[in-house]
Amino acid sequence: MEEPSKFERYVYKNASVYHYMKISLVLENGNKYITDAQFKQLIICGLKDLYGEVGASFPFDLLKFDQNELTGILRVYNSGLVKLWSALTLLGSYQNEACAFRVTQVSPFLLALSGNSRELRFGDQLIW
Amino acid sequence: MSPELEKCPRSLLVCEKSNFLNEKSRHDIHVSKHNFNYKISVLIPECGILPANISSVIHSFSPYYLVRDLPVYQLLEETFLEPLVKKGNFYALSYNTKIDEDNAIALLSSGQLILSLDKDTYEQLGLEGRPSLYNHKKAMRFVVTLDLTDKSLTPGTKRYQRVLSSLKDRLPLRYDFLFTKYNTGSDEDQTLNKLLSQYSYEEHKPAFSQHTLKNMPCPTLYPSDIQGKTLSCDPHHFLEWLGAVNLDISCENAADSFLSTYVCPEPQSSVSQALLCTVTGFISPENVFVLLQELRQYFDEPKFTPWISLTVHGFMDSPVSWGATEHGFLKGGENLYNFVCFKNQDYWLHMATGAQDGCPP
Repeated sequence: MEEPSKFERYVYKNASVYHYMKISLVLENGNKYITDAQFKQLIICGLKDLYGEVGASFPFDLLKFDQNELTGILRVYNSGLVKLWSALTLLGSYQNEACAFRVTQVSPFLLALSGNSRELRFGDQLIW
Repeated sequence: MSPELEKCPRSLLVCEKSNFLNEKSRHDIHVSKHNFNYKISVLIPECGILPANISSVIHSFSPYYLVRDLPVYQLLEETFLEPLVKKGNFYALSYNTKIDEDNAIALLSSGQLILSLDKDTYEQLGLEGRPSLYNHKKAMRFVVTLDLTDKSLTPGTKRYQRVLSSLKDRLPLRYDFLFTKYNTGSDEDQTLNKLLSQYSYEEHKPAFSQHTLKNMPCPTLYPSDIQGKTLSCDPHHFLEWLGAVNLDISCENAADSFLSTYVCPEPQSSVSQALLCTVTGFISPENVFVLLQELRQYFDEPKFTPWISLTVHGFMDSPVSWGATEHGFLKGGENLYNFVCFKNQDYWLHMATGAQDGCPP
């Protein structure tokens, strides 16, 4: 017989090693064909332009990429969040075409990125 | 490089382990105190079809209403107070108001009306409140809390008249609201509809969807090891994996891959299929509790999987998270919780909040 479970409670503060960002790329002249590797390379170039080779030498993951919507989910170590976010903000062009990154959501929990109540819309737009 | 660049907002994760059959278990309190729920997702490993009992519970969730341009003072009017506010099980939240930019209004089941206001609105309205806990250097946001069940706010008293006239004449605030009411009896069904008939409103049923995932790695969890030291995986890694499942993120990447190095946390095993279903809308805690009770009964018959999971996401722009604990939006407004239910009725409860939140209860 298993013993009845004892009550346990743990509080973790700042224990999440990563931050996660949901981003989308907006191009001036509409969507282009961009592969996931090109998308990640674009972000790396933005980082290098802003922080140099050494400053940009931290890893981040492109966990998911939607080629149709040009949206992605990034995972970065906490120490790299500010640099990554600032590089995304200041990135202005892709292959000589004006572009902008929109940061839709940022969280220390990847699970939180799946439930963004700001996406709740009514009327013509579907709730999903 | 400046150390300032390496700072990031604080986050909290509370992990509790207990047993549903334990008298002192607080799972019911935790669920009931989390007033505003936007999305629920249920993950059942080794399951292809949603069991009928769970499906029927989900499809009988209370509807919710979007009321356009409702004056806030209406929530204090006797027509609302007696049949709805004082009876409880009624929730209201201003829609499309951002907690970090706009004013936000919330009515809890306990009868507390919370107004989270910017400085100008607070000064013009003239009601007594306190500065927000999450102001930076200058107080730019204030919170007014009115207990509508309190004797001093009974219709007819001086204080009631003052509050009503502030909201009606001094600064008439009007917002779109989301309403929901959990019906305990059948007679109350029509009360809300009758009251809303004088406004422009739409009734909605929470949106339901389900996917069956095939051949995926799944973390191994043992109820006795919530910290993930030996038998289970670490709670942060587990929640990350849950997020990956919900967002359809691949868990099979090589360690030297250019794009992503994300893998399922160890220890893990492979499952042939898993069911993920989600419900989105404005969901009352009572509905969540009924679903939790039903999910506990999943193990009444023998099942392949040793655990199932229920995740509940709160509203980013709600002025409160659990109970009347103030909630804010710094870089994010997450306030979510996750149950892992085990065969022996043991459970884990993870409660996660962001920077501008009190510690979950």
